Amino acid sequence: MLIRSLAAAVAVSCAAAFAVPAAAQDADLSKAPPPAPYAAVSSLVELPDFLPGLGTLYVDPETLPAGPFLGYDHDGKLSATIYMVPIADLEAGTAFDDLAVGAPEVTSVDIYYNAGHPGVEEPHAHVVLLHDADAKARLAE
Amino acid sequence: MNRRGLLALASGGVAALALRTRPAAAHGAAAHGPVLIEMRGSARGEHVGFAPLGLAVAPGALLRFVNRDASNSHTATTYHPSLFDRQRRIPAAAAPWDSGLLLPEESFEVTLEAAGVYDCYCQPHEMAGMVLRLVVGRPGDPGWEGAAPPSDDLPEAALAALPSVEAILADGPLMPAGLA
Ligand SMILES: [Cu+2]
Repeated sequence: MLIRSLAAAVAVSCAAAFAVPAAAQDADLSKAPPPAPYAAVSSLVELPDFLPGLGTLYVDPETLPAGPFLGYDHDGKLSATIYMVPIADLEAGTAFDDLAVGAPEVTSVDIYYNAGHPGVEEPHAHVVLLHDADAKARLAE
Repeated sequence: MNRRGLLALASGGVAALALRTRPAAAHGAAAHGPVLIEMRGSARGEHVGFAPLGLAVAPGALLRFVNRDASNSHTATTYHPSLFDRQRRIPAAAAPWDSGLLLPEESFEVTLEAAGVYDCYCQPHEMAGMVLRLVVGRPGDPGWEGAAPPSDDLPEAALAALPSVEAILADGPLMPAGLA
């Protein structure tokens, strides 16, 4: 009995240890709030809870500045995955590879320049993966 | 909520402090209400700026900064060693001030007494050239201190965006490109 519990405990902790990198992908991110280490951007920096065009944003602070940022609509549905890529980093040769996605289905992608905001203050590009055809409309305001 | 309350308290505290420095006989300009300066941004944040970005006012003018950008936060911060260790770009006789980050529709007020040129910036957007030049009074006024010379203390985009004192005095409020 004792041995079996110990074995189970070891199995669980090993699984947890090995699962860490994939956890962000496997956890249910479809509804706000996503599980830790994701945190609301508005709790990390001085920004509104809902950002027109991007939604209510969550990010794992360890992944700044690139993200992924998860954008939820007003009903808490995951609608976009956003990356924020500093222009100067790109020019210096930095690559941002193997970034996680909030959901596997992507219906369209928007890429545009942003002059900076609290959290990612350097001029950067927003790469916005929209997860369904109506997502952009729901995030608009 | 708590965070915003604190910010509001902090801004209110600074504004009240600034207001208390007004002399009992306030200048006529203040009697007509504050001079409005908006922080603006395009919908996707490609462009940000103060509107106007160059402005002349009389000594004693009350300014009100309002963040009209729904998707960004902005500050109005004077260049001064006491604030983030920056080179002084306001008259020596003037007290430095900093709005702190303003969320959309939040505002900050300050009264300017000392004659001369005040250069200000937005903390998260200085690199993007979000700066503001205020001219209080006119050259020759008692205590007048003109514009600080260009300096590598400022990012290139900020230096390039500062309008000349002559243009501000000649043309009135200068609006930023792309944010009208
Ligand atoms: Cu700004």
